[in-house]
Amino acid sequence: MAINIPELRQKFSNPGIAELDLIARYASLPEDERRGRMFDAFAETGLPGRRVEGWRWTDVEAAAARLDGTVAPVVVPALSQPHDATVFALSPTELETPEQLPDGILVHRRDVVPALAEAENIPMAALAGSLCQYKDNAASIVIEITAPLSAPVYVNWVGQSADTNFSRLAIVVRSGASLDLVESYCGGASLSSTLVELKLEDNADVRRSLFHAGDAHEIMTATALVELAANARFVQTILSLGSLLSRFETRIGHTGTGSNATLNAAYLCGADRHCDITTFVRHGAPSCVTRQMTKGAVLAGGRGVFQGKFLVPRTIGQFTDADMQHQALLLEKGAEVFAKPELEIYADDVECAHGNTSGALDDEQLFYMRQRGIPLSRARALLTEAFVSEALASASPAVRDALHDTAREFLSEMHG
Amino acid sequence: MADDLRVKDSIDKDTVAAAKALESDNYEAGFSTDIETEFAPQGLSPDTVRFISSKKEEPEWLLEWRLKAYERWLTMEEPDWAMVQYDPVKYQDIHYYAAPKAGAKYDSIDDVPEEILETYKKLGIPLREAEVLLGVEGAAETAAAARETPRVAVDAVFDSVSVATTFREELKQAGVIFMSISEAVHEHPELVKKYLGSVVPQSDNFFATLNSAVFSDGTFVYVPPGVRCPMELSTYFRMNAENTGQFERTLIVADKGAYVSYLEGCTAPMRDENQLHAAVVELVALDDAEIKYSTVQNWWPGDENGKGGIYNFVTKRGDCRGVRSKISWTQVETGSAVTWKYPSCVLRGDDSVGEFYSIAVTNGRQMADTGTKMIHLGQRTRSRIISKGISAGRSDNTYRGLVSIHGKAEQARNFTQCDSLLIGGDCGAHTVPYVENRCADAQLEHEATTTKLSEDQLFYVRQRGIGEEEAVALLVNGFVRDVLQHLPMEFAVEAQSLLKVSLEGSVG
Amino acid sequence: MPVMLELKDLIASVGDDEPKTILNGLSLNVPFGEVHAIMGPNGAGKSTLSYVLTGRHGYDVLSGKALLDGDDLLEMDPEARAAAGLFLSFQYPVEIPGVPVMTFVRTAMNAQRAVRGEPEISAPDFIKQARLVANELKLTPDMLMRPLNVGFSGGEKKRLEIFQMRMLEPRFAILDETDSGLDIDALRTVAEGVNVLRDEKRGMLVITHYQRLLDYIKPDKVHVLSAGRIITSGGPELALRLEKEGYDGIVGEAA
Repeated sequence: MAINIPELRQKFSNPGIAELDLIARYASLPEDERRGRMFDAFAETGLPGRRVEGWRWTDVEAAAARLDGTVAPVVVPALSQPHDATVFALSPTELETPEQLPDGILVHRRDVVPALAEAENIPMAALAGSLCQYKDNAASIVIEITAPLSAPVYVNWVGQSADTNFSRLAIVVRSGASLDLVESYCGGASLSSTLVELKLEDNADVRRSLFHAGDAHEIMTATALVELAANARFVQTILSLGSLLSRFETRIGHTGTGSNATLNAAYLCGADRHCDITTFVRHGAPSCVTRQMTKGAVLAGGRGVFQGKFLVPRTIGQFTDADMQHQALLLEKGAEVFAKPELEIYADDVECAHGNTSGALDDEQLFYMRQRGIPLSRARALLTEAFVSEALASASPAVRDALHDTAREFLSEMHG
Repeated sequence: MADDLRVKDSIDKDTVAAAKALESDNYEAGFSTDIETEFAPQGLSPDTVRFISSKKEEPEWLLEWRLKAYERWLTMEEPDWAMVQYDPVKYQDIHYYAAPKAGAKYDSIDDVPEEILETYKKLGIPLREAEVLLGVEGAAETAAAARETPRVAVDAVFDSVSVATTFREELKQAGVIFMSISEAVHEHPELVKKYLGSVVPQSDNFFATLNSAVFSDGTFVYVPPGVRCPMELSTYFRMNAENTGQFERTLIVADKGAYVSYLEGCTAPMRDENQLHAAVVELVALDDAEIKYSTVQNWWPGDENGKGGIYNFVTKRGDCRGVRSKISWTQVETGSAVTWKYPSCVLRGDDSVGEFYSIAVTNGRQMADTGTKMIHLGQRTRSRIISKGISAGRSDNTYRGLVSIHGKAEQARNFTQCDSLLIGGDCGAHTVPYVENRCADAQLEHEATTTKLSEDQLFYVRQRGIGEEEAVALLVNGFVRDVLQHLPMEFAVEAQSLLKVSLEGSVG
Repeated sequence: MPVMLELKDLIASVGDDEPKTILNGLSLNVPFGEVHAIMGPNGAGKSTLSYVLTGRHGYDVLSGKALLDGDDLLEMDPEARAAAGLFLSFQYPVEIPGVPVMTFVRTAMNAQRAVRGEPEISAPDFIKQARLVANELKLTPDMLMRPLNVGFSGGEKKRLEIFQMRMLEPRFAILDETDSGLDIDALRTVAEGVNVLRDEKRGMLVITHYQRLLDYIKPDKVHVLSAGRIITSGGPELALRLEKEGYDGIVGEAA
């Protein structure tokens, strides 16, 4: 039974060229009920634009319309691999794994398309889920971590230049296991959406460090759905240099008592770069802790977006301790920073706070540095580096220096 | 005279008795006045609009303006983004106009039916100049009494019609125009025409457009250049008739270098059905002018099961049109079943200042979605937002705000603080700020916290012999102090007791 | 000795929006090898002078000149003035989170050296020298690893200013109320640190409200600043007289 393209088109209101491509792509895949449900969820909004709450500042629809399909994105070098890491390369068609997997790592290829809960709330993730298809009929890939690992795991999200990239990966970290996960998102596809589903069982410990850089012909969204069971610890650090449009969306569910999440991110946006850091944390179990620090620095023609939300449900969210901070620097005229730090609280015995600042570098600090003989441009770079590095301190020791160096290099190229 | 002086004292007795009779002791203003009322035909149509306009003997341009708004409204959809849920408003069941039958216009205050005056008296609103002069507002035991007797000029709006305006002569000498907007349409058409809809355009939003079509009455204030309004101006709104909506429209213009402080109070009787209040307030401050607008909103919130109560869907916006102008909103929101309200400032003039100080209390089944928008257009514009939300019972209380710095608003500044306090585990407190910065040398700072009423503090206070309700009131007063101090003194006193009443039964 | 710092008829204002004239025709010469003190009542323009000389934004020179060893300071950016050898010990040193003291000083040192065409200091040499100076000023190595001025007490911040001065070895130093907030031991430590740098190739301007500091850093000359100009000058005895008689008398006398 073939998928009926005109019928599919009906589900979209005014589909654009990019959406028509996606429809055709979907129609070429094997039919599957769950895949269909995800695609329907995506069709509700289509490529989300400014009329969709949560996307008002990150308008994929408009960016896709602006993309000139004839210009292939220049692929930015990926984050260098830590020397002892177990390296996976995930392309839209296949997960390349090392010949010999270390103890404690299992890889499963399954021919069943996994369902995606709440797909209707995350249109780009629903898109990734509905269009992801690996070769040899593998519809999903699961990496299972069964023990504390001694070396980092490196996942390189490889795109196929000039085209689209939709990948989905599930990682399960078993009770008591630990994982130092490093991911590089320098795929270079003109439109990509990736989806990581990360499940931490009781007492599991995951440190996730992400890097993204892309050029001005690239739209990328990376969604992570993270579930934390009792006493699980999750530390995430992102460094993003943006692309034409980029968004890291992280959804955390505290589902077991006493879990702990740290969500840090730094974005550095030059001209024609857009970085969006979006997080949603649901405190669905008592006594869970969330600490969040996002730092950004934006140059002329760049745009930084931060959207954070803590949801604390009634009763089960008691004794929540959650703090969200976003601080951004507008380094030049023509820089833009938009923020929406949100709290939705239904339990009374909680401590929740958020803070948001945006502005220029401190004049007094700049003058002090110049008085000591440091040239203005150098002083600006130094102060900015100090400013963002706080958010990178939580990165894996395996790549922390590399992330700092990348940030420093970016800032040293900045004009004073 | 002694009786007059004790008006405030006597409210408590009267209203408590009235409230008790209705088995709800949380609402002091919940009584209705039995007078003959003239209604517009039920429902909304071009004829309703014409009826209202002709009742007010309005000029043709204003009728056209209303009809245009009506046409526009038909094409609009009710907003659904706020964190509130309510039964759909039946726009065709509402009376868009209700006036005391004796006639809309009184030559002298003595012609106002005694029942109406009694109503205001029960509410503690000094209507007669004599009462005001005697300082009826300040009960002897209050702090206000220790100061110079406050003098407040009052415009009272009863359902759709403005019934009395005090102190007009004295204000006239100062050059201040203070009258109902329907009078102003006749007496100062050039001013009304120039400023009406210039801050909140007809097509602004669903409720504002509805108001533009059917607004019944409201207050008009014009303070001429260089004049400091010699007294506080005040309007007291009261919804009395059944099945009515209230759609007042207030327009305040402070010309160059002028200053005015304006107080607004609202009450409505307890009714089982929901009543709609869709007001529009427009403020215009020209060069160096300052407007201070204070609200104590105590519309009927509905009973503890969420039956009845006012839908308070209000559009309030100030335009700092001139350089160095300043507009300051202070609100104490304790009433209404559903509140949808965002008093805002457009900071157009260079060096202009916008402020928003808010206390929003929700209890029972109330839902409030309120906050502000600060739109920075001019250079060196500054804004300050202090919001204190207190949720109790099964209520939901949301702060929603926007701070938008445009590219040319160099050296703009904003400071925002929104704190939420939860009393009990069945309520919700939410914060939804949008912060848009497009200017590299602007500085924005936003802080927010959500906490519960501290048991340690509560115990400490009670250990010192203070009863639980009193202790809660004390702690809540501490929580909102930053905002209370921005209210005019006599209003602050009223607000404090209102907070206490609103939170009764929220602990224990 | 030839003149090192030459200030002539300086008129300067503060503030972007509504400029206010603070320096009102100030003239002053500090020869090579000398230390001059500037004293004056609050609001006389003492801190303004230090900011005008170091080129802080918002302090505009309307007329007059300021030369350091013949070079026109007013034409230079703040960092160029620093590289020319001008150092200000701030009255209120600013906190710079995230930038450790060592990183900061080394960056400053090498930036200045680059301008002067000198080679960079090597990391071991730098660390050696920093330890030495820190020890003299009773700063612990741990303090040098911390972000600049963050979490330092008032006295520690002042010692850190002198630490930087010693490391950067400026030709001309301005000490702006360096004594404020110091107890007597700290004062002595700071003064000793300053005195090490006194020689015939350098000059100093010590701005202070009280005579106390001058017991430890002995000035060659004392100037009284009032309403934006030098109203009287003299030897160290002038400072003692000020301490005894207060500013009112002397200011009144000069007027």
